[in-house]
Amino acid sequence: MLDRELKKGSAELLILSLVEARPRHGYEISKLIEARSGGVLRFNVASLYPLLYRLEKRGWIQGRWVEKAGQRRRRYYRLTPAGKKVLASQRGTWRAFVEAINRITGVEHA
Amino acid sequence: MKLAPTREAEIVEELAQHLDDRYAELLAGGATDEEASRAALAELSESQWLARELRRVERQLKHEPVVLGARRTNMLGDLWQDLRYGVRVLRKHPGFTFIAVITLALGIGANTALFSVVHAVLLRPLPFPEAEQLVWLGGWAGNDKEQGVTPADFLDYREQSQSFAQLAASVSEGVPMNLTGNGEPERLKGALVTANYLDVFGVQPALGRTFVAEEGQEGGERVVVLSRALWQRRFGADPAIINRTITLDKRQLTVIGVMPPGFQYPPGVELWQPFSFPASPQNAFRSRELHFLRPVARLKPGVTRAQAQAEVETIARRLQALYPKTNANQSLFLMPLQERLVGNIRLTLLVLLGAVGCVLLIACANVANLLLARAASRQKEVAVRSALGASRGRVVRQLLTESLTLAVLGGVGGVLLARWGVKLLVALSAANLPRTDEIGINASVLGFTLAVALLTGLLFGLVPAWQSARLDLTEALKEGGKGTGSSAQRHRTLSLLVVGEVALALVLLVGAGLLVNSFVRLQQVSPGFDEQHLLTVRIDLPNPYAQPERKALFYEQLQQRVAALPGVEAVGLVTELPLARQSADFSFKIEGRPALPAGQGPHADIRNVNHDYFRAMRIPLRKGRHFTEAEVRDNAKVVLISEVLAQRFFPGEDPLGQRLSLGSLSQGAYEIIGIVGDVRHRGLDGGLVQTIYFPSLRLGYSNLVIRTATDPVSLAAAVRKEVMAIDPNQPVANIKTMEQWVSESVAQPRFRTLLLSVFAAVALLLSVVGIYGVMSYVVTQRTHELGIRMALGAQSRDVVRLVVGQGMKLALMGVVIGLIAAFALTRLMSSLLYGVSATDPATFAAIALLLTSVALVACYLPARRATKVDPMVALRYE
Repeated sequence: MLDRELKKGSAELLILSLVEARPRHGYEISKLIEARSGGVLRFNVASLYPLLYRLEKRGWIQGRWVEKAGQRRRRYYRLTPAGKKVLASQRGTWRAFVEAINRITGVEHA
Repeated sequence: MKLAPTREAEIVEELAQHLDDRYAELLAGGATDEEASRAALAELSESQWLARELRRVERQLKHEPVVLGARRTNMLGDLWQDLRYGVRVLRKHPGFTFIAVITLALGIGANTALFSVVHAVLLRPLPFPEAEQLVWLGGWAGNDKEQGVTPADFLDYREQSQSFAQLAASVSEGVPMNLTGNGEPERLKGALVTANYLDVFGVQPALGRTFVAEEGQEGGERVVVLSRALWQRRFGADPAIINRTITLDKRQLTVIGVMPPGFQYPPGVELWQPFSFPASPQNAFRSRELHFLRPVARLKPGVTRAQAQAEVETIARRLQALYPKTNANQSLFLMPLQERLVGNIRLTLLVLLGAVGCVLLIACANVANLLLARAASRQKEVAVRSALGASRGRVVRQLLTESLTLAVLGGVGGVLLARWGVKLLVALSAANLPRTDEIGINASVLGFTLAVALLTGLLFGLVPAWQSARLDLTEALKEGGKGTGSSAQRHRTLSLLVVGEVALALVLLVGAGLLVNSFVRLQQVSPGFDEQHLLTVRIDLPNPYAQPERKALFYEQLQQRVAALPGVEAVGLVTELPLARQSADFSFKIEGRPALPAGQGPHADIRNVNHDYFRAMRIPLRKGRHFTEAEVRDNAKVVLISEVLAQRFFPGEDPLGQRLSLGSLSQGAYEIIGIVGDVRHRGLDGGLVQTIYFPSLRLGYSNLVIRTATDPVSLAAAVRKEVMAIDPNQPVANIKTMEQWVSESVAQPRFRTLLLSVFAAVALLLSVVGIYGVMSYVVTQRTHELGIRMALGAQSRDVVRLVVGQGMKLALMGVVIGLIAAFALTRLMSSLLYGVSATDPATFAAIALLLTSVALVACYLPARRATKVDPMVALRYE
């Protein structure tokens, strides 16, 4: 349960940063999170999509159906200008938070 | 969970997409099919969480209006939601939707078209008030032939019976009449009727009145009632027609009424004229020997047909006792008028309706196959919907709504097809279909179509929907190993559908095969003459040619003029053309033999011909000689007889030189001077009729048969001109080639053979597509297993044998069941067959073989594809 709560707190930041560079679809996002975290973080359908929809409702990301020849259409999410601001501020907060934790736990970075 | 349907569909689509990706990736990573789908579905393991979270997100911005007191579960709202969702899904798979709708439209369209014919012809009562009380009365002499009633008997029945509110009669079922003046002379079918005839039907005239009793008395007959069609065509629908005179058969008649549209009885009649029963006992209308009246009657209210039949038989027995010479064995039988009108087409229509019903069932099976195969790919969608909180019933309802939407689309397409199909049916049936003017797509037919469409939708939708909805999340997760429960079940259902399809197709094919077989035999029957290069023309001489000599003169002149036309080889004249099913049955006596009791002596059809008739028709002379021109002119006391008559009544002796006389037309004895070949007077499927030919031209009507060197049609105009040259007021009718007559005589067998063959072909095609589709699906499902088998050393041959074996097992089961069903069903149509038994082993065997070989091809194609599986791919899977 703690694990889930932790993920939930940081998950918004994860998703916003993943769609910052370019629009991505849901499956791609879940794969990226898994890959870049080295398998430590995993989102399944039940956790990922409600999150995506919530972010969309808040207007931070926007989903659009894109059709590619020979494939089923997919819904791609991109960062909105509002989302960009939120991301910037969340990144700042997160950095500060991580620094604080590091200082407290005494972990030194090379 | 309550969501806007479009939103719900989007979520479902996106989530299903995600699961598909996961599944594909796992497969690519080397997982087995089962592992992959298990893992993919595991993504939904926290479905409670998903539903709760989604609800929380989606609720925030819900715009659904709140209706006070409205319950959350709302059937109508659900239905609307399902409909919109269903339409969306169908639009997303245009290929599937197109094929399903076309298949259904064909099936439903064929059923609608045929039902509209059956409805108008068989089901709807005749367009007369209390039509069920109308009966038709046929004369009957104890054998299997029906005949007319003599005028003297008719009067006795009318006087003595109590069962009928009205008893009326017409001369035959219409007689030819010549209408002149007011433009081109025209030959019409008119009816000579008793004065009460039109009142029997209870139909009010559209204009004027019907006959009164005095007009049925001697001297009062100079009035006429027109059909609406004739009134419009010939008199421009002029309302002032009443009390005007028209010229019919060169006599002046006063028009007193016009019947309403659609009233045409006897069938095809365009006007009605009353006749009387003159006092003179010599008159034909007092005869007790000439069976030319056709009675119709209306039963008194409360009198049943059986009561009336019993009464009629009592009177018949009384007449038999009174007039033993003429009335031995003579009786009457009653039949509902409607049955009389549609009797000969009824079985054909019912067989065809059964056939289109089978086609529709096969179409249903195919669409169900499609849905089942698609259900596999929709498994994840269903899983997501269940995870979103949909109950099983809700999912079934959703999938059924989709099927019904398909069925209704198919129904709409079917009605469009049927509008065109009905026209085609009516055109194909030619003159064989009674009541064609009543055939159309009306409310009852549309109701039938709607019912069929909905039933169809349930039929092909219920099984796939039920099976899809069975998918239980936890069950799907728990199940491992070989084949999930639902896919094994799906296989069983698909197999059953294939067996059923093949069986139905076989029944139809056997039916069609029997009809084709019988039609071919019918075509091979020789009519007894050479029908090529023959033109026929019908000429009816009106009454002013009262003296027989004048008639003979007319025909002689005509015959000479036509014979002189270039390209004419011979000109024959005959009272009734062959194949016309017209009988002129008379009893005769052979001189020197003891007389038999009435009704048991020999009888034969008689024909009056000129000297060149047999040469023009190329009817072979077996023995003796032809008539000479002089014999024809003088009505000499000589006759020619047909071969079958010679064999039957002169076995082992020489008929030439023997003499015979006609009982009722006793004009002395006639010497037999020759024997000619038999001709099919009662149609190609009719038996050989014993015939006596007389030399005579003193005829009220006759048919010219003109043997030509060139295309007979090119002579039609010239012949018409020659007739006009002799008498400008003399109409000609039925200018047709003899080939047309032959072709028309088999129009009804051709109609049913053609239609049933088309339906059987469609059934074959659909069932083959069904087998092919199912086997393709099976091969796809078993690719992995087949690949491993090949990697372990199985040859292509073995794989083909495996797959084809599986398919053929189903096909053969279908064939066996179909054969049993066909064996039971075809005997229902035995009366439609000619020269073939309803259980003809050759037809059964040939059809079974045909279907088996076609099924073999349908199985082989997917099997060959299976051998193309790369064993390496299969190995990588493990």
